[in-house]
Amino acid sequence: MEIKKLDTLPEKIIIPLRQHRGAVCEPLVKKGDRVLVGQKIGESDEYYSSSVHSSVCGEVLAIEEAAHPDGNKVMSVVIQPEESNESVEFPKCGDITSDQLADFIKESGIVEHYGMPTHTVLRPKGKKIDTVLINATSSEWIGGTFKTPADYASQMIDALKMLIKAAGAKNGAIVLRTDDQASIDAFESIEIDGKNLQVAPLVGSRKMGYYLNEQDSNIVVLSQERIFGKKILNFFTYNVTGRKVKIGCDPTSVGVAVCGIKSAKALYDAVNEGRPFYDTVVSIEGVSDKMEYILVKIGTPFKDVIDSYGYTGEIGKIIANGVRTGVAQYTDQVPVTKGTTRISIQKPEEVIRDESIECIHCARCVDVCPVALIPSRLAVMADQGRFDECRQINIDNCIECGDCAAVCPSKIHILQLIRYAKDAIEMAYENLPEKESSNLKLGCGCGGE
Amino acid sequence: MTYTISAPPHKKTKLDFKTLNISKIIALIPLCLAAIYFFGIPALGIIIASVLAAVATEFGIQTIYKQKVTIADGHAATLGLMLALLIPPEAPLWIAVVGGFFAIAIGKHVFGGIGSYIFNPVLVSWVFIRNAWPSYMTPVSIPHIGQFSDLLFENGAGLMVGVSPILLIGGVYLIYKRYVDWKVPLAFLVTLVAIPQTLMFLSGVATLIHEGVLNPLMYMSQLFIFLEISPELPYAMIGAVFFGILFIATDEPTSPVTKNGRIIYGIVCGVLVFVYGYFGNYVDGVLYGIFLANCVGSYIELNTMPSSFGTMSLPEKIYRNIMDKIPSSLKFEVINNE
Repeated sequence: MEIKKLDTLPEKIIIPLRQHRGAVCEPLVKKGDRVLVGQKIGESDEYYSSSVHSSVCGEVLAIEEAAHPDGNKVMSVVIQPEESNESVEFPKCGDITSDQLADFIKESGIVEHYGMPTHTVLRPKGKKIDTVLINATSSEWIGGTFKTPADYASQMIDALKMLIKAAGAKNGAIVLRTDDQASIDAFESIEIDGKNLQVAPLVGSRKMGYYLNEQDSNIVVLSQERIFGKKILNFFTYNVTGRKVKIGCDPTSVGVAVCGIKSAKALYDAVNEGRPFYDTVVSIEGVSDKMEYILVKIGTPFKDVIDSYGYTGEIGKIIANGVRTGVAQYTDQVPVTKGTTRISIQKPEEVIRDESIECIHCARCVDVCPVALIPSRLAVMADQGRFDECRQINIDNCIECGDCAAVCPSKIHILQLIRYAKDAIEMAYENLPEKESSNLKLGCGCGGE
Repeated sequence: MTYTISAPPHKKTKLDFKTLNISKIIALIPLCLAAIYFFGIPALGIIIASVLAAVATEFGIQTIYKQKVTIADGHAATLGLMLALLIPPEAPLWIAVVGGFFAIAIGKHVFGGIGSYIFNPVLVSWVFIRNAWPSYMTPVSIPHIGQFSDLLFENGAGLMVGVSPILLIGGVYLIYKRYVDWKVPLAFLVTLVAIPQTLMFLSGVATLIHEGVLNPLMYMSQLFIFLEISPELPYAMIGAVFFGILFIATDEPTSPVTKNGRIIYGIVCGVLVFVYGYFGNYVDGVLYGIFLANCVGSYIELNTMPSSFGTMSLPEKIYRNIMDKIPSSLKFEVINNE
């Protein structure tokens, strides 16, 4: 597939200094400075942070609070771009050790789309990673990123090897989607270590460990049903490796690091070309009949991306990161960040306006829930503030996919109610001293932070 | 330019409560027409009186208590129509009016309105008027399906629901369109068919034992009895029972929400209806049976709450326990060992 690129130069580029959860970077430039492509403009000493680089060559107009696709305002560097591709010299990354590679990932500003800096996923403090997974089940992000499927397959394998090296892990796996035949064919056509690759389906009790034994290799390619949601990591880890993550912990506590396609590709580019993470492919929905993919520089406002398709119709809603769980934007001057995967546009007549009524107990939400919850019950409990009862019926398992709210004929905001309860539970047990309360068997069970 | 901001998901199903109710009414219209054809104008009178009484009651109650008036969602009309089909056409009109009022006032709003009632309002009202005025509410005849044509047009029907079991096919279409859940009706129907067949098989075996037969083939041959239709079935396969299976048992608030719970609920309905029907008649049996099943609905729901993903269920645990004791050289199973 041809990689489409956004050629027109936007009026201004807005680069938020916080591209992930964690610390906000300190700006390294000041107003009036001239920056080059790939120049580091933000950095932090905190471990839970990742560097930010300029994606264009131009003059810094301001360092101010600007809109962020998450919905709030974040300190950002606003750059007036100029018609020049002058860039800083990218350091070649030769044969380096595991520790250097981890530092390199931080320096290159690679973050996961779910909001963690990649190096903190690979090397969490106080925990040991032994398995690295690349989640490729949402393969719409792949489109437009690679020239051919074969490129995709070989680059992903290389990237996985690098991630394994950086994490100091033993095994790795790439998880594809069962119905994504193009990718499966691509992976089956290439070889690793002189052996033909077999894409193995995850069925029944055949998890990753089984295939590692069977194929006698430390890298396997697996396939599973499509899975999406805001909090899929624990469920995904269980699906792939069979390891259960304790409630309140993340996969790193059982030694699993989950990476996305985007960060794997960014790492591949960073190592091979030396250039940091400053451009990304986003998919655009709603400007034409089909899904469009375009390579944009980080910091490009949504308006310029939409305009590049010559879309002139009226816009009712702009949504970042998908219509199911994404955030509706109040302005089109929000920039594309490292975590942006999709921009969706809805016409005014497509915007839904519903009124919630009482639950009619039709059980549609129960039928669609991928993690066997009773969303209708959770919603009622959350609404009444009965958070402990929510906990008893496994609210923490919720992957926040939004399916329940989408199928609800009563149009109840189930997803928001569940999030509300989860937040309340998290806040209630946040400052609970360890091993003190005898009547509350709560809190993180993994012993880590 | 201004944009709409709202909470995700930004795309939802078009299906809403109103569509569900209206589709149920549409699914029942063929049956109503057939009933009017059979019983004439009195049937039409009963239907109109019951629906109007139900809608007027809902309007009245919501206006008096200053709630939002929800008669437009069609729920009251659906309940009124279902109730009308369960009233004999010879009954005076005021029975239908009292029934419609009772269904909405006591059956629905006393319990808290949509989604909160524990007994199906149609059944609440039917049980009330059936016991208050039994002379009006007893149908003149109880149908019995003798041949296939009786499924098309049932001449022995005493109630409007009984006139033509085949016209309830609209309910099957609702299940096909996923407007109505399939688990309850399927479990219900299978149980209702399986129990008489099993009883017939058991009685055949009992007879053989009584005669002192020793040849095992004779016992095996009793299995063929499942291919025959038990004499009990024609009494059970009548319009009222199909109506109960497709429209009353599937009523959302009164059936459990858990996946296993719905299957168990269907089985409970089937057993209760069979017991009532076997010793009484199936017209009263299906309604009292489902009414009683409503009582245990929430109990079933609470006891079938799904556990967290990845937890082993009881059969899996037993299987695991057994398999763990067998040496690995003797078994062909996936070794999930890293």
